Amino acid sequence: MSQDPYDFLDHDLLSRLGSLPVESRMPMVGNVAGKHRSPHRGSSVEFAEYRKYVPGDDTRRLDWKAFARSDRFYIKEFEADTNLRAYFVVDASGSMNFSGHGESKVEFARRIAASLSYLLVNQGDAAGLSLCTEKLHLEIPPSRRAAHLQRIFDTLKDLEPEGETGLVDALHTIAEKIAQRAFVVILSDLFTDPGGFSDALQHLRYRKHDISVFHLMDPQELSFDFERPHRFVDLEDNTSLVVEPTLVAEEYHTALNDFMKAVRDKCHDANADYQLVPTDTPLEPLLREFLTARLPKGK
Amino acid sequence: MLWGLLAASIPVIIHLLNRRRHKTVKWAAMQFLLKATRESRGKKRLRHILILICRTLGIAALVAAASLPLVGGFFGMGAGKPDLVVLVLDRSASMEAKPENSGLSRRALAIQRIRDAVADLSGTRLVLIDSASGAPQEVPTPEVLGELSSTAATDSAADLPDLLTTAANFLAETPGRAELWVASDLQLSNWLPEDDRWTRARASLESLPQPPRVRVLAVSGESAGNQSLRILSSRRNGDRLELELEIARNGPALSPLGVPVTTTLNGARSTDSVTVTGQQLRFLKTLPTPETDESGFGWISIPGDGNPRDNVAYFAYGPALPVTSGVVAQPGEAADYLSLAAAPDGFGGQTSERIGPDALSGKIVDETAALFWAAPLPAGPIAERLEQFVRDGGQLLVFPPDTDADTEFLGITWSEIQNAPSEQFFILDSWDRADGLLRDGIDGTPVPADRLRAVKRRIPQGDASILARWDDTEPFMVRQVIGKGTAWFIGSLPDYSWSNLGDADVLLPLAQRAVVAGAVRFDSGYLTRVGASDSLPAPNETRERFDSYADASTAQADHIAGVYRLGDRVRAVNRPASEDLAGQIETPAVSPLFEGLSFSLFEDTSSSARDNISRSVWRAFLIAMLFFLLAEALLCLPKAMPRIESPTAGAQPSTPR
Repeated sequence: MSQDPYDFLDHDLLSRLGSLPVESRMPMVGNVAGKHRSPHRGSSVEFAEYRKYVPGDDTRRLDWKAFARSDRFYIKEFEADTNLRAYFVVDASGSMNFSGHGESKVEFARRIAASLSYLLVNQGDAAGLSLCTEKLHLEIPPSRRAAHLQRIFDTLKDLEPEGETGLVDALHTIAEKIAQRAFVVILSDLFTDPGGFSDALQHLRYRKHDISVFHLMDPQELSFDFERPHRFVDLEDNTSLVVEPTLVAEEYHTALNDFMKAVRDKCHDANADYQLVPTDTPLEPLLREFLTARLPKGK
Repeated sequence: MLWGLLAASIPVIIHLLNRRRHKTVKWAAMQFLLKATRESRGKKRLRHILILICRTLGIAALVAAASLPLVGGFFGMGAGKPDLVVLVLDRSASMEAKPENSGLSRRALAIQRIRDAVADLSGTRLVLIDSASGAPQEVPTPEVLGELSSTAATDSAADLPDLLTTAANFLAETPGRAELWVASDLQLSNWLPEDDRWTRARASLESLPQPPRVRVLAVSGESAGNQSLRILSSRRNGDRLELELEIARNGPALSPLGVPVTTTLNGARSTDSVTVTGQQLRFLKTLPTPETDESGFGWISIPGDGNPRDNVAYFAYGPALPVTSGVVAQPGEAADYLSLAAAPDGFGGQTSERIGPDALSGKIVDETAALFWAAPLPAGPIAERLEQFVRDGGQLLVFPPDTDADTEFLGITWSEIQNAPSEQFFILDSWDRADGLLRDGIDGTPVPADRLRAVKRRIPQGDASILARWDDTEPFMVRQVIGKGTAWFIGSLPDYSWSNLGDADVLLPLAQRAVVAGAVRFDSGYLTRVGASDSLPAPNETRERFDSYADASTAQADHIAGVYRLGDRVRAVNRPASEDLAGQIETPAVSPLFEGLSFSLFEDTSSSARDNISRSVWRAFLIAMLFFLLAEALLCLPKAMPRIESPTAGAQPSTPR
């Protein structure tokens, strides 16, 4: 029996989640027809609105019945459906390697990105991947092809975080680079300057991207439940610090809470979805809740 | 102790080891840790240091409480180990009193404490100066301190100023870092704080190259119930032996106390009971002594109580001697009254003899118990002879002469004759009812001296203690104690042209008391006190103990009461009367005695041998330890932590948009 090369993929989970579509909360601009709303009026069966005829309009779209009733020319407009282009921005800095007692943050990010990519491609949408560190910004453009999905999986599989984070720069790059509206999913511990992160989010918002942030935190980072003195070695730059945890626990929690509040507020300001995700969270309820929350109302 | 105090550093050592033996972890959220570390400096660090200090002090207090003596009140804190300890041990009879609820005497408790304390100073040389022998003695090991004969109980007194001078002399010959320890019950009569010798002793100690540190262990505190018995006087009167006894009791005399008194006379025992209603009872005990008995001895005892050393009084007697008094007065009414009062007809074989002032021979002086002098004050050889008579124990009663004379005797002169105003009298107004010739009787009956009326008087003038005054506050009777005897000056004559002193109410008890007191010197030769020169055998004399009241150990016989044959002499040796006095020097008054020296006083009021002189301190240390641990616990209480955003359970729901 051959071993599954992508052990971060849970096929049972994906099949259970298959009935839930990955929806965008904003109209998407795709290059092919799809199931997502487009900001442009198109030729789908779903009526959108009437508008007055102006010279130059396609006379085939005149509603003659309306003209007969009102003696005025109206153009009948319909919703245009298009496909979704999703970018998974995975923080590949050294801090993502941290694991307290269980799964590391990068492993958790890998599972989320792979699962959502699979679901997207499976429903005919495009998924792309962006890995970022201070020095490296690896990008796989979105594509709807199944072979492309394998490339994403391979990239995720080979992901080995190191160095300092380059998340902010990566987000700015993505905002500038993606010409059309897209669904940007950020998977990071966000250990960067909240001000810079906020600017990057605003940049993405300005470009009318749908943003979703998975804030990945290890339970031990949240609880800081050490007792004896420890030497803490920074995963990003290897600086070290000997600390009596009981002495600094209170200040640590205060600083952490301040940071998380700031991040959450910045996300809210940028109209981005924010989810704090401790890495001991079961994946299925997390994704199910995420997908369900994104369904259009009434569906 | 030092090893124990090292234990106090355990929290610090653990802290340092913990810091060295830290665990290394790879950490991602470094930015918060750095910020927290920056902000926790200050208050948090102080709190942590306080916790560490509390732990250290808690252990130190526990160690201090556990290692009692060295940090006790006797040693004080941080005392260095001396090379030499000179122990001045009070072995006086009062040190045999037992503290309340204790089976051990104060002396035994003091030895126990000192033994334990010296044992802790391992390697320190110990030299004992006991109050009985007063000689320095090397103690090989502290363990044997209680077994030495020179630390055993005695019936002697203690002379602390003299002992400290001895200690100073010894230390002068033994240079080194020394401490002087004094273990005593602070009995006032032993310490004599007003004595000039303290100045000399203190100066001797101060002048040493290395003045010693002085530590006084005061074994004071409440004593167990105790009654003491002593013989005030002993006189053989014909076929009787008259013993004046005193039983005193300590503590409040809330109810009458029946005390069985056992008399052992020449081997025959008899017991009767007396009731002590107040603090003390004086009574006369008469014992039959057949005139055929040339001599004899015995002892009076009461049951054992809080101090076993003061429950017995020894006596001895010799052949009965006639009691003779001399009357020096011009023939007349006064001379008659005085002769009659000095030797009433048929009373105890007393005789009186009228003597002319010039006929006062040495033989008369030697054989006379009391002299009644109603003549001009003597001068010259006669005065010298009379003074010698008083010095040897005689009683001299001097009455005013009828004729003026300006002579002075023993610093006393007579004033001019004073006559009372017409139809008025000089009335005796106040007199000492506890002391002197007009004191109340043994049964408390007062002498009716207020009946005395005088129309003529002469005032004794000069330095003397006044024992009775007229109603105009002029002295009626004054006293001068010289040597063993007393000279009394009485301001009126037993003559009806002077006063009604001749009435038996006043003159008879006054004269008889003087005669009895004077006669004591012929019998008191058998009584002596421990430490007196006549209680010790002369170089050519052997000593043999007669009585069987206690073990006849000869090792410490110089300091033990009993009836002894010393060569040809028989002496009943009793403890000094001062040992029965309850007065103690107040502890604040001890410090000035050692002014200029490094001094500490520890009052040991415990009653158990298991306690030691640090007991009151270890309790304080235990309380301190509890305090420190409580403070540590309070400091360690976790403060309410800021609420952590979804610490473990699932993801936060998406924020609404």
